[in-house]
Amino acid sequence: MADLETTDATIRGTSGVPLVRLEGIHKWFGNLHVLRGIDLTIQQRDVVVVIGPSGSGKSTLLRCVNMLEAPTLGTVWFEDEEITDIRADLNEVRTHMGIVFQAYNLFPHMTAVRNITLALEKVLKLPSDEAHDRAMDQLARVGVGNKASSFPGQLSGGQQQRVAIARALAMQPKVMLFDEVTSALDPELVGEVLEVMIRLAGDGMTMMVVTHEMGFAREVGTRMLFLDEGRVEEQGEPKDMFLRPQSDRLRQFLAKVL
Amino acid sequence: MSLTEARALDPEVAPDVRGPTAPLPATIFALGVASLVVITLGVVFSQVNYALSDRVLTRSCIEQQISPEDNGAVGVCSIVEALDDPLTTGSLYLGVALGGIALVLGLASYRRMDSERRRDHAITGAVLGAQGILLAIAILWFRSASPALFAKHFLNFADLEGYGSAFVRGARNTLTLALAGELGGIVIGLVLGVLTLSHRRSIRAPARIYINFFRGTPLIWQLVAGYFLLLFGFGVRLSAFTAAIIVFALNTGAYAAEVFRAGIQSIERGQIEAARSLGMSYSQAMRYAIVPQAVRRVIPPLMNEFVILIKDTALVIALGLTAANYDIFTTAREGQSATFNSTFFTVAAIAYLIVTLPLIRLVNAAEKRLRSGLVGVAGAGG
Repeated sequence: MADLETTDATIRGTSGVPLVRLEGIHKWFGNLHVLRGIDLTIQQRDVVVVIGPSGSGKSTLLRCVNMLEAPTLGTVWFEDEEITDIRADLNEVRTHMGIVFQAYNLFPHMTAVRNITLALEKVLKLPSDEAHDRAMDQLARVGVGNKASSFPGQLSGGQQQRVAIARALAMQPKVMLFDEVTSALDPELVGEVLEVMIRLAGDGMTMMVVTHEMGFAREVGTRMLFLDEGRVEEQGEPKDMFLRPQSDRLRQFLAKVL
Repeated sequence: MSLTEARALDPEVAPDVRGPTAPLPATIFALGVASLVVITLGVVFSQVNYALSDRVLTRSCIEQQISPEDNGAVGVCSIVEALDDPLTTGSLYLGVALGGIALVLGLASYRRMDSERRRDHAITGAVLGAQGILLAIAILWFRSASPALFAKHFLNFADLEGYGSAFVRGARNTLTLALAGELGGIVIGLVLGVLTLSHRRSIRAPARIYINFFRGTPLIWQLVAGYFLLLFGFGVRLSAFTAAIIVFALNTGAYAAEVFRAGIQSIERGQIEAARSLGMSYSQAMRYAIVPQAVRRVIPPLMNEFVILIKDTALVIALGLTAANYDIFTTAREGQSATFNSTFFTVAAIAYLIVTLPLIRLVNAAEKRLRSGLVGVAGAGG
């Protein structure tokens, strides 16, 4: 564990305050110890990919970053603010962190464009025409500009997920969190969502991606974490880790998924 | 598949695969229908025939405690006499015979039927036959006891003359009580429902105590106690009518709270997470994301509560309303105590049904619509 942390620092030696920093994160659900002491630093323009077997705590870790899940122990910083502090204004912090969920979680009673403008108007207090313009821009950016007035129920899974990405992007976040965003999609719809994410990474967006898409992890990730039983079992350059896995656990995992 | 078969299939319409029927199952079905029709027609025909004839009180009617001095005695006598009409008697026995044949044949043969439609006909015939037998037995039983006494008290409409406007006013007051109570209850219920979902026990507990109290005590007790508490306890001088509306609202609020709580809890967790992750506060997430979805889901159960409340408004009789405020039930009770004729209650039941039946149909339609997902509350579909 100890030497893994040093490799982490050497791989991304960017100067300045990291965007996100997690330190000593533990999470219990009841008596279930899901996260067992995790440290993680996300720098500007990082694409941190998290892989691991189901139940390893990947999603929980991701949800700790924007405090949808409060860690039982440990600290989370966003830029220079400690957001695990009870006095932190989480509503304000979350406007800088977009998250996309496995189940899309679009508001089913609103059109695609309304899904996006809602928070722009109610949270960022943008005037409605400006919010509308921004929403339309983002819908076009993810390739569903023609579906603006459709309700989620009228869209395919891939289209819904792209609207969800546009909704998060419209807030102009500093980091995007992706929680197994292709896992609920029919196989033929996975590509269109991955394509949007690849483009986003190319544009320099800072991202944390929990995924089962090993191809995406290898090609797009700048850094990869392998989680197992609530611990970071191994981390490093994705291509390296796929080529030369150090731990038995990662070797076994890769043998199963590749 | 041969060419002719292929042409017979219309690609736009699902084929009917239930197959044709056959003489035996069709006969069983017809017998079952005939059983019910014969009984109904016989009884109705006799009743209409006697009602239209200008009869006088017969000896048997007078023997059955119908006095010539009673208002409407002739009409009551006609009902009772018609029940003993040979046509009624004949149709009842014929109905039992037809129903019995349908029942026996249907039960004996339905397993051997070789197509779905044949089996349907055999089973439906047997079921209708059984219903005919039960209906005939009920009528025979009823007329063998004291139908005269019953008709005199519950089917003597002569005393109701001049009460039409009173019942219309009663219906208006009943609806006012129920509607005002329901609206107040919805407001109280929405607030309480949200409070019961708080993760803080200090907020949850008072709401739960309120809800459990109003769900756990009789409404009639709440009406009386509430009225006197307002009047003497707090010195609020209200009419019994207004006090009743307040108590109905408080009571409905407790039930509506449970409806709202269940409705909000039925919204997927991801919805509030999505809203919160966009920077919305808890109350913003509730207001814009959760409650609008929950409202659609709670409409049928709330309408159901409304139907229940319409009937429960009858309990205001415990408060002693002024005449202008009489609801349907009090109107009936006043009429009954003035004439000693309980037919007023029969009319009251009809008046309640006129109001509630359309609402019940509306609830069922709304539930069906919600189940089919037409209102756009279905979850994320792939």
